[in-house]
Amino acid sequence: MIRAALRRVGRLLASARLATLLLAFIGTWSVVATLVPQGGDSEPLVAAWASAHPLIEPVARVLGLHQAFAAPVLTVCILALAVSTALCAWQRTKAAISRGRALRGALAAEKQGLAARHDLEIACDPDLSEPEVLSIASETLRRLGIKTKPQDDVIMAVSPAWSAWGSPVFHWALFALIVVLLLGNLSRSSGLMGVAVGQSKIDQPGSYGLVSAGPLRDWPGVQRTIRVDALDLHFKTGGVDRGPTPTVSVLDAQGKVLKSQRVYPNNTLNVGSLTIYPADYGLTATVSLVDTSGVEAGRSVQFVDFYAKADSGTAPVGFLKVSDAAGNAELRVYVSVPLDRVAGGLAGRLPTTPAARVLVTSLDDAPVVDQVLHPGEELALPTGSRLRLIDLGYYARLQVVSDPSIPALYAGLIVAMIGLGVAAFARQQIVSATVMTAPDGAKLAVRLRLWRNAASSRSEIETELTRALSGVEKGSTT
Amino acid sequence: MTFEIVVMWVALTFYAAATAMYAFGVTFSKDTLTKWALAASAAGLGFQVVSLGIRWARVGHGPYLGFYEVANALVLCVVAFFVVVAWRNPRLSATGIAVMPIAVLLLGGSMLASKSGIAITAKLASYWLFVHVAFANMAFAAFAVSFGCAVVYVVRQRSASGKWVKRFEKLPAQDVLENLMVRFVLVGFFFWAIMIATGAIWANEAWGSYWTWDPIETWSLIVWLIYAVFLHVRYTLKWHGERLAWFAIAAMPLALFALIGIPLAFNTTHAGIGGLGKDL
Repeated sequence: MIRAALRRVGRLLASARLATLLLAFIGTWSVVATLVPQGGDSEPLVAAWASAHPLIEPVARVLGLHQAFAAPVLTVCILALAVSTALCAWQRTKAAISRGRALRGALAAEKQGLAARHDLEIACDPDLSEPEVLSIASETLRRLGIKTKPQDDVIMAVSPAWSAWGSPVFHWALFALIVVLLLGNLSRSSGLMGVAVGQSKIDQPGSYGLVSAGPLRDWPGVQRTIRVDALDLHFKTGGVDRGPTPTVSVLDAQGKVLKSQRVYPNNTLNVGSLTIYPADYGLTATVSLVDTSGVEAGRSVQFVDFYAKADSGTAPVGFLKVSDAAGNAELRVYVSVPLDRVAGGLAGRLPTTPAARVLVTSLDDAPVVDQVLHPGEELALPTGSRLRLIDLGYYARLQVVSDPSIPALYAGLIVAMIGLGVAAFARQQIVSATVMTAPDGAKLAVRLRLWRNAASSRSEIETELTRALSGVEKGSTT
Repeated sequence: MTFEIVVMWVALTFYAAATAMYAFGVTFSKDTLTKWALAASAAGLGFQVVSLGIRWARVGHGPYLGFYEVANALVLCVVAFFVVVAWRNPRLSATGIAVMPIAVLLLGGSMLASKSGIAITAKLASYWLFVHVAFANMAFAAFAVSFGCAVVYVVRQRSASGKWVKRFEKLPAQDVLENLMVRFVLVGFFFWAIMIATGAIWANEAWGSYWTWDPIETWSLIVWLIYAVFLHVRYTLKWHGERLAWFAIAAMPLALFALIGIPLAFNTTHAGIGGLGKDL
């Protein structure tokens, strides 16, 4: 009973109709997904669309159309397509084995065998000699795009056995690609990490501002440190301004530099599964807390982002908590950097006269102190301690991706393209012909197998050969 | 008007003349006119190559950026592919009646667009740009020629009076034409797959992610899936004849939409090819 049900499911998954329907469904789903805004409920576009389409919105929500490419419906279809592709690849492999055998066998065709077993029999003009018949047939086939070779008393155009392997190789590679993509998503992490110039961060979740990671991402397995050595705001090479370009180093657990290079679009840093791209840059303000006895209690690097809507042109990425002696948070410190004004707006770089605006608030965000500091200057906090601005600088926001599946993905793509190339361009055909003498005159015996990418068709070959050899076709045998 | 643009207008004129000659040649069964139409297509191609060559030297990059260049490159590939096919297989020359109007409309449209050069940005400065765009153009060219075969197939099939059968009598038999239509789809499908694969590899290098479901990425996949369905219904469900031809006719405009329509309609990272999107 269970076996019968499994067999039915297997037959269903192996059916060409299901594969076609799945492809059509995934295509249609993708079309719809491009028409519906993508993202979470908080996305303004999604919210606007929802209020503009109150009737469709519940359906879109139930189907998961706002996150269409992560929706369970699509995932299930892709998994079903993967199984279907594997079963299809298996069937095609079996077909390729038998077709390859037929192609190899056809190469050994000889006159007697062909005379006994053929697909077409074409009566020839009695005045034509055997070599003339073969020559005319060869020329006729050539005009139809089929180039034959003479072999003893036979002319033949037989595709090589490998021509049968394009489709199975492509389907197996597609299956492998789907598996690699799924596994890759489980083991992949991608996030944004801000690193101040001259500083480093360990590659672990806490170092990222934003990170998404699959459940199989091996964080503790590989200990790597990412360091930003320098930032060039206008790095030029090859006559192209590459934009803000950080020089990034990756170090191992022992502090040994594994790789170091400038990182800009199309010139990413790759170490093992780790790939580092430049996402953005911003400013940093290094501040220190000096206690009542004049001892520096600790330093902190505050990130400041460029923000066109702010008067100063920058906005703090976060804030610094100042605690009392018992460790209870009492104040918040926000740091921004007023930018230089230039023609057309604000300059996206450190101001010519370095200075930072320090806003100290209570925990409920009521301003307590608001002061502009230059490097080396201090301000007094209500707690009795002082806040000193040490320095201003830059930070690079790096997109750090760890994806061990990339090499396998590229390999899968290459194999898939080779398979598809063979399927698209290689002919799969057997055309062989010989002359046989019969009591009612000479006849051309033709064996035809036009499986794929044939230059002509059976009916056209039959018509043209009949016309060329001026005979009357007597019908097929075998 | 610069010399480059004048030469492009000459190319367009030749293409328009070729289209007219195909229309008259096929309708009135004038073989000589059909032969001249192919020659006019080839001549137009020569002028287009010259114009784009001048532009390449002037702006410092190939025809990849902006609607004018993108549409121009598509036309170049469509006409080149068609001329090669018709030259190698003269029996297919009459399909020009359906292929050449695509070239005329697309090139005519591009002549109305801005022709100022767009500089290569850091994200575009990669050899992948050439490979990715070249395969997109070649894929579309193959789909356009399969579209031509399909149109001619349907016209001949539906010719109740037999007039169009006679007009298209130089063409291969219907079953051969159908095979050719499928072959061109298969070739286009292969090139389109390479376009997607190289795009994914390049995106990984330039943007840090090989697939982001950007509208143009999604639509490239959609077109690929549509042609995958076409090949499945042909090879496994054994669809033949007119409905298969209608499928090829319906699919080609979607490929064109994916290439030049999406950047106009959606906010996409592929804004460089002529849309209104964010950045290059």
